[in-house]
Amino acid sequence: MAIPVEEAIAALSTFTLEDEQPDVQGLAALLSIERCATTSPTEYADVSAYRLSLMEDTKAINQLNTLIQEGKEMASVLYTYRSCVKALPQLPDSMKHNQADLYLETYQVLDLEMSRLREIQRWQASAASKLAADMQRFSRPERLINGPTVTHFWSMLKLLDILVQLDHLKNAKASIPNDFSWYKRTFTQVSMQWQDTDTMREELDDLQIFLSTRWAILLNLHAEMFRANTVEDILQVLIVFCVESLELDFALLFPERHMLLRVLPVLVVLATSSEKDADSLYRRVKINRLISIFKVIILKSTEASDAEWSREVKGNMYDMVIEGFQLLSRWTGRLWEQCAWKFSRPCKDPVASDSLGGSTTFFDYEKVVRWNYTSDERKAVLELVSYIKSVGSMMQRCDTLVADALWETIHVEVQDFVQDKLDTMLRTSFRKKKDLSRILSDMRTLSADWMANTSRHDTELHALRQEGEEPRPNIFYPRPVAPTAAQVHCLQFLICELVAGGNLRKHGGLFGNSGSGIAVDDLKQLETFFYKLSFFLHILDYTATVGTLTDLGFLWFREFYLESSRVIQFPIECSLPWMLVDNVIESQDPGLLESILMPFDIYNDAAQNALTMLKQRFLYDEIEAEVDLCFDQLLYKLNEIIFSYYKSRAASDLLDQSFIASCNDDNKYFVKPMRFNEILKLRRVKLLGRSIDLRSLLTQRLNKLIRENIDFLFDRFEGQDLCAVVELQQHLEILKHSHNLLSKDLELDSFSLMLNEMQENLSLISYSSRLASQIWTEMQNDFFPNFILCNTTQRFIRSIKGDRHASQRASVPSAKSYFFCGSQDLNAAYHNLAAMYSEFFGIPHMFAVVQLIGLRSLPWIIRAILDHIAVKVNVIIPKIYGLQDALPKSIGLLPFDGGVAGSQKIIHELLTWGTKSELKAEVLQSLKEVGSALYWMSLLDLVLREIDTTQFMQTAPWLGLFMGTDGQLKEVDSGNRPLVSLFRLANTEIVSHATCQNPNSFNIMLKQAEAADLIYKKNIISASVLEYALAFTSAALDKHYSKLSANPKTGFIDITTSKDFYRIFSGLQFEYLEETVLESSRRHDSWGDSVAWAGCTIIYLLGQQLHFELFDFSYQFLNIAEVENAAIAHTLSFDRSKNSNFLQGYEILLEAMRKARRLNNHVFSMLRARCPLEDKVACAIKHSGAPQHRITFVNTLSAFETLPQKEA
Amino acid sequence: MARAGGITNAVNVGIAVQADWENREFISNISLNVRRLFEFLLQFEATTKSKLACLNEKLDVLERRLEVLEVQVSTASANPSVFT
Repeated sequence: MAIPVEEAIAALSTFTLEDEQPDVQGLAALLSIERCATTSPTEYADVSAYRLSLMEDTKAINQLNTLIQEGKEMASVLYTYRSCVKALPQLPDSMKHNQADLYLETYQVLDLEMSRLREIQRWQASAASKLAADMQRFSRPERLINGPTVTHFWSMLKLLDILVQLDHLKNAKASIPNDFSWYKRTFTQVSMQWQDTDTMREELDDLQIFLSTRWAILLNLHAEMFRANTVEDILQVLIVFCVESLELDFALLFPERHMLLRVLPVLVVLATSSEKDADSLYRRVKINRLISIFKVIILKSTEASDAEWSREVKGNMYDMVIEGFQLLSRWTGRLWEQCAWKFSRPCKDPVASDSLGGSTTFFDYEKVVRWNYTSDERKAVLELVSYIKSVGSMMQRCDTLVADALWETIHVEVQDFVQDKLDTMLRTSFRKKKDLSRILSDMRTLSADWMANTSRHDTELHALRQEGEEPRPNIFYPRPVAPTAAQVHCLQFLICELVAGGNLRKHGGLFGNSGSGIAVDDLKQLETFFYKLSFFLHILDYTATVGTLTDLGFLWFREFYLESSRVIQFPIECSLPWMLVDNVIESQDPGLLESILMPFDIYNDAAQNALTMLKQRFLYDEIEAEVDLCFDQLLYKLNEIIFSYYKSRAASDLLDQSFIASCNDDNKYFVKPMRFNEILKLRRVKLLGRSIDLRSLLTQRLNKLIRENIDFLFDRFEGQDLCAVVELQQHLEILKHSHNLLSKDLELDSFSLMLNEMQENLSLISYSSRLASQIWTEMQNDFFPNFILCNTTQRFIRSIKGDRHASQRASVPSAKSYFFCGSQDLNAAYHNLAAMYSEFFGIPHMFAVVQLIGLRSLPWIIRAILDHIAVKVNVIIPKIYGLQDALPKSIGLLPFDGGVAGSQKIIHELLTWGTKSELKAEVLQSLKEVGSALYWMSLLDLVLREIDTTQFMQTAPWLGLFMGTDGQLKEVDSGNRPLVSLFRLANTEIVSHATCQNPNSFNIMLKQAEAADLIYKKNIISASVLEYALAFTSAALDKHYSKLSANPKTGFIDITTSKDFYRIFSGLQFEYLEETVLESSRRHDSWGDSVAWAGCTIIYLLGQQLHFELFDFSYQFLNIAEVENAAIAHTLSFDRSKNSNFLQGYEILLEAMRKARRLNNHVFSMLRARCPLEDKVACAIKHSGAPQHRITFVNTLSAFETLPQKEA
Repeated sequence: MARAGGITNAVNVGIAVQADWENREFISNISLNVRRLFEFLLQFEATTKSKLACLNEKLDVLERRLEVLEVQVSTASANPSVFT
């Protein structure tokens, strides 16, 4: 069963052919099946069918059209002519004997080019004579043949235009005479061996005259025309035709208008060759009319207004198409005119040479293009280009949609005129004029479509004659068929005949009402129809017209300037299309962004022109090379601006809002929104016939850029100390957020994947990462030795003496702003924020560390630190032995009777390690490092707890945990936990549903929910890293227990022993407190509070806390001071004035001791809380990094094997 | 008036013109539909291309992810002792 064509085609439209691709490009390819309706596809062979005796005319038209076609080819040969001489090699002296060979080769090369020129010379001679003959034939006053028709006029004008163009091109090419003279020289050399060269020589001389004479073609044409003095008439007619067409804006397409403008002056010059002719011409056409035509006002900056546009697109489809064409024609025409204006007015003084590094010479082309357009003008040009291209592509896209509607409308117009209007005319004003009414009926005969008008078909013949009949409007069924070019051609001819009566000398315009005896109304109607007819052809020629009107290739061509500048090609900066692209990138104007690909359409057009019109392969190659370069540049720059835009948006998003609000100039942190998403959707960009997936290219490059950025941030961190970890985290956050924003439009690799890749953290069996090992290296080499703790502020700061590593660092790499936050202001803001954290290490840094290295590498670093503690403990022990040896065997309680001064003296006597100050310093340093490590762990503990708590708060509702009235955690009964029951309900619902195909996967999901429930519930009781560290330290100390803690032989507390660790620490503490006092608190800075942390921890873990509190020198000293103070206060209670001065000199020392006691007490209380000595419990951390809940374990080092080894 | 002549055989020409209109209606109908077919093919090609590109993009992402996983697995299988 056959399916009707229409139905089949209509079915195709039901396919969804939508993709996400936005229309930000013009059309790259035009599909046209008409062979240009404007020129008859059958070369007017069908005209003869209408029996209008137009044979001669048609033949002439065809002859002229062939000439026009040939002429265009000649013109493109001339236009693309490039000097050959420049490319000719020079022979070195050593090869002079081969000169003859070179001449021959050169001659052969040049001969080919010269033969083309010779051809042009011959062609122009024959064309001129044919044109002149044609004009003479059709300008005889006696009119033996019909014609010339309007089509004929156009052909004559076009041929004339071609000749003018050829002449101009010939004049402009200085390289042609150059090449020719070279050719002639080689010819004389080569032809010496030849015989019979006279004719060739003559030919050469002819060609030389032709080439060296300016305006040779026009002079020749003039001579040809006035050989017989009969062409003035037709010249005048042509001038009138030109003037009227221009005045009435008769030419729909801008190329036609430009052609008329070019030809008119030449016609006037030709027509006024003698005074008599000039007089007669100016009698017909006033000179002022001519002058006013050339007062073309060219806009300095072409501004097309949207309001105008929106107003202009109203109306029905036909009008819309006409208006679309007019609009396109006007816009493109303006671009041409703007271009011409710019070419004729080169920039006077190009931009100051400093931007070009001192080169002061400019090509002419740079003067007229590169420096000649201001930024506003570039913007305007680009906007206009986008208007033209997008309107053009919209029109082109609806081509097949509107085609039959257009045909129908045109059919209706024609039929309405020939059937109705002519009918009326025949019956009224032309009744008495036999000749004229015959023309009218001819018009009807050759174009009326009676059959489509079924209602009046049978009576139409009567209607012609029966005058009395009521003139009723015709009802005819419009046919979606348009008239042919021949029909239009004949109709135009007949209308001309009608109004002008074939009289070329008729004064006034074509439709100037004089002498033809036609009523004004009719004339008006005829005139309107006449002009409409010429519009019809362009509309029928829809695709070709759109193609012509949106062709912007001319913006690239620059042969004229290449010739004068003597270079092969200009750099792309001089190229207008690239200038437009660059303008978008530089200005970062959000409105222009989507037009960024429009300039590439200019390249597409230019390449098309090079191949099909100019037919020059080398031009295409040049364009292709330029496009390749431009596109690469575009990609690179586009990538940069996209990345920096998203970076700055992310940075501005993440900036603290309250901070911005309190900022005076908060506007600078606001990022102007730009719409990149349309550009990011472009999967096929048409470029020189290739289709390029811009999106994938951008994705590729952005992926790379993000990786580079991560790498850069790590490099930067590696160049700074541990405090920069906050900055690193900030920047990684920004990067992550911008990745997030980008991922909405692009399919990027996942951020964590890229981060892991850059962290070299992909291996499943390695727990270290680039970042973790960097942090550890920093801690080991810089942080532990050089940072001191302040217990009150919970911060580590760099000690004054300890900056010895700073100079060894690699310098911090600098980079483009988009590797930070994208814009200068945001960079500054973030820099200031980071600077606040750059001088210390505290809780924020710990948060950053935990977040950056994550649960995966955290155990690794904990292990490394614990090992460090163990190493340090092992280092301390022998040194402590050394100090122990220096102490007296037994140390008793300090006697109270000596008073403060006395006890200080006794202590000094007891501490007899004065010679071992180096050993002391080493012990203190090691203690400080151990203390720092322990405190670091406590900070880590704090942070992990906070994170755990947050996570718990988030998961608790899902696990069915809630706060009871008593503040304790309650749990709902096990069958009712929210997460599990949710999945269970969903599962039963789905499984019970009939359409469920595979219930198994839902069962699995339910099982997984149950598992998740269990796992998360177990995590609630999380363990403490600090407790673990303390237990570890304790285990490390255990094997030295006997040396550091002498078991009392008696079983009672041995108060005189000096072997216990607390004695050593006590002595050390007393001494450095004294030093603190002596050196006005400078020394104190060098150790910080971590010494106390380490000392107290070791004392506590050795079980010597009570001993320490009882027998510490400082504590005893304080007690003595108190007692003394009280006693003195008691005895001297009457003398208040002395009281305050009594302990002078000891005040500072006592204050320091009190401070130390407070600190020690703080540490001890913390230790008691976190590490009760009664049962040694701690936690373990599993491989996965998840802490295991509290376990009791045997206190040996092997218990810590659960932590990953540092080397792993 | 110097007119060289009008239509010499008006009736015949009229009949021929009428036939011509009808023939041309047929021709333009065919040609328009051929053009629509072409247009469909062009659009079809374009959309298919971008759909394929879309698919390709997703495959690319998967491929890269798979590569990473492969590397991870290879590190694991190179050291089987860790997992025993």
